[in-house]
Amino acid sequence: MTVVASNPPAASRREQRPARQDSPRLRRLLQYGLMIALIGVSAFFALMSPTFLTPANFGSILVNSFALPAIIAIAMTLAVGSGGIDLSVATAIDLASLAYVSAVAAGWAFPVAVLAGLAAAALTGIFNGLLITGLNITPFLATLGTLFIGRSVQQVLANGGNPVYLSPSKLSTAVKFLAHGSFLGIPLPLYVVGLIALAAFILLELTIFGRSVRAIGARPQVAYFSGLKVRRDIAWIYLLSALVSGSAGILLSSTVSAYIPYSGNAFLLNAIGAAFIGTTLGARGHANIPGTILGVLLLAIIANGLLLIGWNFYWQQVGTGVFIFLILTFSFASKRRQQG
Amino acid sequence: MSVSYSAAAVDQRSAFASGETPARPARRPVHRSLLRTGSLLAFIAVFVAFSLASPLFLTFTNIATVIGQSAIVGILAFGLTSVIIGGGSDVVRGGIDLSLASNLGLGSAVYASLIQAGYGDATAIVATLAVGLSVGLVNAVSIVGIGILPLLATVAVMNICSGLELVLTQNTAISVSTPWLDLLSGADRFGIPYLAYAIGAVAAVLIVALQYTAYGLRLYAVGEHREAARAAGLPVPAYVVSSYLISGLCGGIAAILYTALLSGSTTGSSEMLLPVVATALLGNVFSGRLLPTIGGTLLSTLLIGFLANGFQLLHVSSYWVSGIQGLLILSVVAATSLARRRRS
Amino acid sequence: MADPVSASDTAATTALSLRSLYKDFGGTRALDGASLEVTKGSIHGLVGQNGAGKSTLIKILAGLHRPDGGTISVHGTLQDHPTPHRAESLGIHFIHQERLLVPSFTVGEALFVGQENLAGTTRLLNRRKLQAKAASVLRERFDIGLPADALIGDLTVAQQQIVQITRALLAKPSILVFDEPTAALVKREVHVLLETIRRLREQGLTIVYISHYLTEIEAICDRVTVLRNGKDVATVDPRVTSASEVASLMIARNVTELFPKQVIQLGEPILKVKGLARSPAFTDVSFTIRRGEIVGLTGLLGSGAKELVRSLFGLERPHQGTIEIDGAVRSIPTPNTAVENGIALVPEDRRGQSIAADLPVRENIGLASLRRFSRLGLVKRKREKAHSDRLIERLGIRTAGGEAPVKSLSGGNQQKVALAKWLSRQSSLYILDEPTIGVDIGAKADIYRLVGELATNGAGILILSTDLIELTGICDRVLVMFRGRMIGDFGAATTSGDEIFDAVTGAGEVQHVG
Repeated sequence: MTVVASNPPAASRREQRPARQDSPRLRRLLQYGLMIALIGVSAFFALMSPTFLTPANFGSILVNSFALPAIIAIAMTLAVGSGGIDLSVATAIDLASLAYVSAVAAGWAFPVAVLAGLAAAALTGIFNGLLITGLNITPFLATLGTLFIGRSVQQVLANGGNPVYLSPSKLSTAVKFLAHGSFLGIPLPLYVVGLIALAAFILLELTIFGRSVRAIGARPQVAYFSGLKVRRDIAWIYLLSALVSGSAGILLSSTVSAYIPYSGNAFLLNAIGAAFIGTTLGARGHANIPGTILGVLLLAIIANGLLLIGWNFYWQQVGTGVFIFLILTFSFASKRRQQG
Repeated sequence: MSVSYSAAAVDQRSAFASGETPARPARRPVHRSLLRTGSLLAFIAVFVAFSLASPLFLTFTNIATVIGQSAIVGILAFGLTSVIIGGGSDVVRGGIDLSLASNLGLGSAVYASLIQAGYGDATAIVATLAVGLSVGLVNAVSIVGIGILPLLATVAVMNICSGLELVLTQNTAISVSTPWLDLLSGADRFGIPYLAYAIGAVAAVLIVALQYTAYGLRLYAVGEHREAARAAGLPVPAYVVSSYLISGLCGGIAAILYTALLSGSTTGSSEMLLPVVATALLGNVFSGRLLPTIGGTLLSTLLIGFLANGFQLLHVSSYWVSGIQGLLILSVVAATSLARRRRS
Repeated sequence: MADPVSASDTAATTALSLRSLYKDFGGTRALDGASLEVTKGSIHGLVGQNGAGKSTLIKILAGLHRPDGGTISVHGTLQDHPTPHRAESLGIHFIHQERLLVPSFTVGEALFVGQENLAGTTRLLNRRKLQAKAASVLRERFDIGLPADALIGDLTVAQQQIVQITRALLAKPSILVFDEPTAALVKREVHVLLETIRRLREQGLTIVYISHYLTEIEAICDRVTVLRNGKDVATVDPRVTSASEVASLMIARNVTELFPKQVIQLGEPILKVKGLARSPAFTDVSFTIRRGEIVGLTGLLGSGAKELVRSLFGLERPHQGTIEIDGAVRSIPTPNTAVENGIALVPEDRRGQSIAADLPVRENIGLASLRRFSRLGLVKRKREKAHSDRLIERLGIRTAGGEAPVKSLSGGNQQKVALAKWLSRQSSLYILDEPTIGVDIGAKADIYRLVGELATNGAGILILSTDLIELTGICDRVLVMFRGRMIGDFGAATTSGDEIFDAVTGAGEVQHVG
């Protein structure tokens, strides 16, 4: 059969590629795609339901469907930005949650309990780091393995996966404040999200570390040949991802006053979705924090909106799924058209 | 050949053009076969270990039962394997189908609902298979037609399927039982569960289709080196689509078996996703070239099945099963990448 | 401008006739009235710089692009709807540089995938039949005993190419187009390939041969067409017209100005290697490079030259010996250490190791010197941008701006970005591995000039190359390695290319201290 190439091979040995036909209008549309989607969807629901646009509703969205998913999506963004993925965020959440709740139940002071939680999460991150940088296992499989092992660990440590409840007396004021308090009218969890988002943003966009991570995410070999400390930076990323997920676990447990096994799993898919939505629809084309945040917000708004316009709870899930699908379609289809 | 070295002879490779990098000098693929032999030995070792440890293990009934119980996860894993074959080994960027478990859930819900609504098995079977194929088609269109990353596309489809399943079942289990379903979940007069026949049959068909036909060879080409496949004149998108259709169909078949085994549909089908992924990925190690194969997936399905069964017989807490699976994946992958790296 | 031939002859004996092809891509004119007439049963060479239009011409022939103007005739028949399928059915097959074969397939599978019926299988694929047929075909065509169950990925490049050619031949082509087939071959393999192509001509095939290597063109082509700026500027008989004339036609520029002549004051040794060894690749290697010196390093495959470079840059650890940088003995376990010690490496594999294609030019340039533009760990965007703009200008990098992704640049400009990355770092030792491969003539001149500048400014340069002209043109000394040992240290001014060539191929171990 004909040996026919459809792409110019080995660019380094090929001639000048003719300038790509770039449609500036399409590029602009794509950059603001996420914003447009957000505004469009909000407008739609605002029209369909009077209660949508109220502060009470928005407050509820932000605290209940946005805060925790956002933190986990940020963790995921770190991993995705380095060219990998972290399926074990669920494990970090759960183990941190377990450690934290156990510490509180044992009467330890709030800061110490938090540290315990973070330490447990850190263990997950370090384990991932060893697998990925030490054994050279790809992040997908390494974190998948950690996820499996984490499940067993939970089962063993929590007696077959039983929840641990905190009686109200054990809850110090600090815990209660974290979960239900507010400062200047804004619930505390949102401050946590804001802080973490800001820190992650600065880290990825403004620091040398972030640049190195971006290069690693784009072309790890090139980064290595440029003298960057690839192994070290990847290990740090997975540690950070685990720590961020761990804080989500601590926050979650504070809110429900318990450790519920495998609760992390529910967040995993949305985190992946939001991180990738942020990447593909964001202004930059690589994984970024603002894009992720908007992605989580979008998902939360869709879920909330569907609820408000009276959709059956189960149809909501379908609706959310279809929405995500449409967004992905728009994003990838237009990217294709731009490149073609 | 004179070596003229006046500056005018531009671009003139001197006669000894050493071409420093022949892409890969011929190397003996020792490590690959070592890995595969090692894994087969491990499989046998597990078998032997459990047989020695528990007298109940090596009985006909037990083995047959395990094979039967592995049928559902196995068939789903076959579907995933087909997709991976057609999509290449890079799981994140290549082919993957995460919608399999919810495909099964939806199919099962459809089956149960139809029976409950008074339709017969024949209708239910056709409907379930149709659902499976449709899910596969939606996956295929999103990935090939629209160009969405398989990871994202199948996650989105998974969400939609789960949602639809919830709508159908209202988040409750639907118990149904028909003579045919009861038969399916039973065994024949030799004591071999029909489910074991099922996984055997599906495995046989797929092995022939993927290893012994031109179609299969071409699908591997498409997955392993898209550019080369295109250069060979193969319509790459069509092959990728076919792999997702196979996967969807497997979902449908597994859904029927699932409904038979559990006498209805339940809400816990999404639990299966990770074990299915693990099984399919583990399968690579059983092939001589460390490629995804149906046979390899069958072996890994059985391995995990026997492991779980062995633990049960030995009264080892089931807590450990998940962890062992994880360790298995990790060791296999580490060893595989080591073997691959030696090659290059 | 083809040689005058009578019209009646043309019709009967012309296999391919591409007349006055025009092709625009967006704003760029890739073909500007290019013509190509290929006589049946001949080997017709096609040469031209990168960007001259060779690739576009071939793609049009392959049916991948529609020309905006001009005509295409194959075997005398006008073609108006070129598609890949059409090209194939007309008997035109292509042998690409990348040997598009599936690495995990066996030879038999790779030969027959997509044309399985040619192996005589019916419904079911019988692998044994496949391998047997493959083995017999290879033996009859090439007299080669390639085990048919060997995996493509385990073969050498030359062997893969044979598989590729055989695959094409199975389809009984009438026209074979070879696109840069020898770039990754050693001399012996090149000979074999050229022999093969001659034999194919004897069997009646028409061959189009695209290459940068004018010696090869000289060796086998009956005719060669020179493309320049999208147009064919000459079609000559390479046995009559010398390679240097052809080269001049390609670039329409006086080529002698390529290598800048300069005298540089040499400084202290920047690199001193003593008794370095990493068996089995190389042993007992010792040499010195002084600041301001441009030293060449060359050798055949297996000579250890590449491995030596890897050890110098921290990609591998030597087992014995010492490396001194600026007078101090250093251990270099990773590229990071090498870079911290002022060593820079521009690898041969540009896309895979040298530049991050999707990232913007600015980020690539700053990749090795982030600390320079930052304070307290935070990168100062403005400083970085100013710096990268300056370098873009200084090196003459043709790009749509510092934010353009590097993949949108041509090979030569990409190489300049790779160099800029290390310039930012102000390294003291530059190791350049085949720095002008796949680089067009204009960029080549720029790169040579830059190398001269770097040396003038006090850096030491080590150039790994297999291009004798390049080595003797730009280097002060040439180190030759053979079978793992450094057997020659030649002063470029006092040694003839023949002597170096002899040393490289091992004709006597000569010790020259230049």
